[in-house]
Amino acid sequence: MSRYKKLIDEANKEHLRSLTRRHFLMDCVTGIGAAALGSFLAGCGGTSAIPSAVAADPMAPKAPHFPGKAKSVIYLHMAGAPSQLELFDYKPALQKLHNQLCPPSLLEGKKFAFIRGVPKMLGPQAVFSQHGASGAWISDHLPHFSSMADEVSFLKAVQTDQFNHGPAQLLMQTGSARLGRPSTGSWVTYGLGTENSNLPGFVVLTSGGKTPDAGKSIWGSGFLPSVYQGVQCRTKGDPVLFLSDPEGMDRDLRKASIDAINRINEEEYTAYGDPETLARISQYELAYKMQIAVPDVMNIQNEPDYIHEMYGTQPGKESFANNCLLARKLVEKGVRFVQLYDWGWDSHGTDENLAIDYGFRNKCREIDRPVTALLQDLKQRGLLDETLVIWGGEFGRTPMQENRDGKDMPFLGRDHHVEAFTIWMAGAGIKKGFTWGETDEIGYAAVKGKVAINDIHATILQQLGFDHEKLTYQFQGRPFRLTDTGGHVITPILA
Amino acid sequence: MILLESTGSWASLTGRMHPLLVHLPIGILIVALLFVLISKLPRWQSLRSAIPFTLFLAFAAAAFSCLTGYLLSQDGGYDEKTLDTHFYLGIAVAVISGIWWLTYRMLKKSPKLELVLALVMLVLISITGHYGGTLTHGDNYLEAAMPAALSGFSKKATAAGTSNYKDIGDALLYEDLVQPVLNNRCISCHSQQKLKGGLQLETLALMRKGGENGPVLKDSMPEESEIYKRIILSENDEHRMPPKGKPSLTPAETELLHWWIACGGPAGKKVKDLPKNPRISAVLAAMQPSKPVDQLATVPEKTVGKAPDAAIAALTAKGLKVLPVAENSNYLSITAFTAQGFNDQDAALMLPLKEQLIWLDLSGTAVTDQVFSTLGQLKNLTKLTLKGTAIKGKELKALNQCANLMYLNLVQTATGAADIISLKNNKHLEQLYVGQTGIPASTLQDLHKQLELMKIDTGGYRLAQLPTDTIAYHKVMNN
Repeated sequence: MSRYKKLIDEANKEHLRSLTRRHFLMDCVTGIGAAALGSFLAGCGGTSAIPSAVAADPMAPKAPHFPGKAKSVIYLHMAGAPSQLELFDYKPALQKLHNQLCPPSLLEGKKFAFIRGVPKMLGPQAVFSQHGASGAWISDHLPHFSSMADEVSFLKAVQTDQFNHGPAQLLMQTGSARLGRPSTGSWVTYGLGTENSNLPGFVVLTSGGKTPDAGKSIWGSGFLPSVYQGVQCRTKGDPVLFLSDPEGMDRDLRKASIDAINRINEEEYTAYGDPETLARISQYELAYKMQIAVPDVMNIQNEPDYIHEMYGTQPGKESFANNCLLARKLVEKGVRFVQLYDWGWDSHGTDENLAIDYGFRNKCREIDRPVTALLQDLKQRGLLDETLVIWGGEFGRTPMQENRDGKDMPFLGRDHHVEAFTIWMAGAGIKKGFTWGETDEIGYAAVKGKVAINDIHATILQQLGFDHEKLTYQFQGRPFRLTDTGGHVITPILA
Repeated sequence: MILLESTGSWASLTGRMHPLLVHLPIGILIVALLFVLISKLPRWQSLRSAIPFTLFLAFAAAAFSCLTGYLLSQDGGYDEKTLDTHFYLGIAVAVISGIWWLTYRMLKKSPKLELVLALVMLVLISITGHYGGTLTHGDNYLEAAMPAALSGFSKKATAAGTSNYKDIGDALLYEDLVQPVLNNRCISCHSQQKLKGGLQLETLALMRKGGENGPVLKDSMPEESEIYKRIILSENDEHRMPPKGKPSLTPAETELLHWWIACGGPAGKKVKDLPKNPRISAVLAAMQPSKPVDQLATVPEKTVGKAPDAAIAALTAKGLKVLPVAENSNYLSITAFTAQGFNDQDAALMLPLKEQLIWLDLSGTAVTDQVFSTLGQLKNLTKLTLKGTAIKGKELKALNQCANLMYLNLVQTATGAADIISLKNNKHLEQLYVGQTGIPASTLQDLHKQLELMKIDTGGYRLAQLPTDTIAYHKVMNN
């Protein structure tokens, strides 16, 4: 009996999944020309007439397994993978080996994306000092962020097993290096729904420029119903595509149309009682509400000057700084998961922009102020206690200087490195001013406190109130979870 | 070696060879013991003839060790009781090995007595060695390194890893935080056994007594206290403590010691009752023991009955989101992201949930100061957010009836400092957010002073403009 129930359940969800966000947003637009009638007062007549409307809404808020410390997550992903050796993992011993040939013991049996033959060691290209009462080592590339040393927990021995960007980003965001799994944000909205039905539960913001190598699947919903996929909001033009009124139609007319469609749907529901009709009603409603709510929350013009000064934001520009400010605004409005992608961190040394000593420093400058401002702004609004902030790339960079195809490079660079890299977490029950994990004296291998990617996922879910082993979804005859068959909560960093 | 020329002598140098030389008689005696056992096998019988000579070597080495040991003891700085025991045991080892050698012929006729004597010898060198080790490394050298599974057998097992407090605020500053640092970093030399510099740091009374160069503690003046001054000296300074080669205090431990001295070096005081600065707050936050993962301080431990569905439905109809804080809990959380029109009259609808409602977020709603009469009745509230509302805080003191309130967010409201101070005696309130309230900076100082035990965030953070903020790095092309 329960097997049939599971099958039917899965079939229903499969159907939900096939309705993509784009379908229903497109439907909103095309459906408008079809009819124009009636009245519908949002949040009033509709909900009382159909008491179970909420139950049918896949985005309705849900309680977690146990009380969560975090209500929302802001994930700052530096696509391309920043060098831990120029930011947080201070290795004076590596400086002494600078320009010497790499010992064969570090190369035997190892694979690198681009390093061939015997590369030279590359000493830290930054000046480090200790900061805060915790004495964390942070380089002079992040002069503002240094003041946040006592707010964050550093994970210095994160390990991955993927040395190419696409698979590594997929692993970082979906828990699997192959396509088809739901992203972390999708799992979170699947588990928690959203308390603000006027906004998407999972928003993705990119800093312009290059999209992450893994493409949009890193915020996709995989086998989860597509309502849980990340909604990419643009910082230029319309924040969400296909959401604005078509030309020649004003908002009143649009409202009238949607009201009419909903009334017809209500009649349909009274006649047939199909819950899918209710889902459709709530989706029309969401799309309509989002027309007002999304442009409003995505507008940073009204923020006071001192906030702009703090973040270094310039309204109307696509920038990481603007996205940081938006992330705070979205979280303040109840959005569950805000995913930021920045780009240009792939410092191979192939050109000036990707040089450890030039482009990398410029990237650091671009994020230093906004990231610091984000933490401080969340703090002063009392949001940091319930917002989990994560910063990191998809892997680290080698202590060796890259020698692509065995040749000298025009600029200093480092290759992809999977054995140890640094990410940090802050807020929402994460220890303040703490470091977990250690690498060897040249920062090549993790020595203590190793952290796997699915440990990070387990910790994110934990802080939101989930047992990562129990947040599952039935697919292809077995329950799936974000942490797959692994994942240990990183308890040492929990306050 | 300049040091030796001035204070040293041949006797002293020979004495310091003792920790090295003692291993000779130990090794030789064990070899003798092995010979005794192995030569019982017919194949190895020839070894018997080597036993007397081995025993003679053991006796000679033991006697010489005793001599060097005596010379070393003249240096002083050791616990007398342990030293005496070690001294007599050492002599006993030398004497017995001598007797054993002299009477070897006689013993040969009594193989059983021979075996007994050999085993006694083994036990004796073990005990002597242990006391010697205690003199060199301090008496908890082994226990400190014992894994948890073993330390249960040790009489001194104080379970160093587990803390006596559930919340860092309840920790006793000296007993739970400072003394463990001293135990960990200082006591191996500054104890009754070793007494370096005549200083003992095992108890507060002994610390106050000071060392041979006078007191080490000047209350409330860390920078004037020898114990702190020495810790922050540069690593190459010969007066630095712990000395070169021994693990230094971590920045957090140093900060802790500084704070304790600055507080006047109190004993029996809880962390939460002492004034804090931002640096020590950061250190303390990192020391907060991990709670069971599924428990939150803001969720009461005692259970509560289910909330009436009708009351939840009435609030939901107003646009509020009413949710259990966890799937198996009856405690409720309310948010108002989609109920910006929620007002003072609507607030009364929450009263039927006053047992269950613990987290309330009314950010951006239309509530005014009149809402406080309702909020005051929500006695189980632990978290309350009124951010961006029209409240002026005049009735804020009504929240004193919410005896479980821990978190209060008044950001972007017109609340005044005096009203906030009226919450002074709200005993669980520990986190207060009052940024963008328009309270003048001069008054903020007073606020911090009046509410010194609360974590108050007054916001208004600014980031300095640094020259590096505008430098774009480019390679300069040289032709």
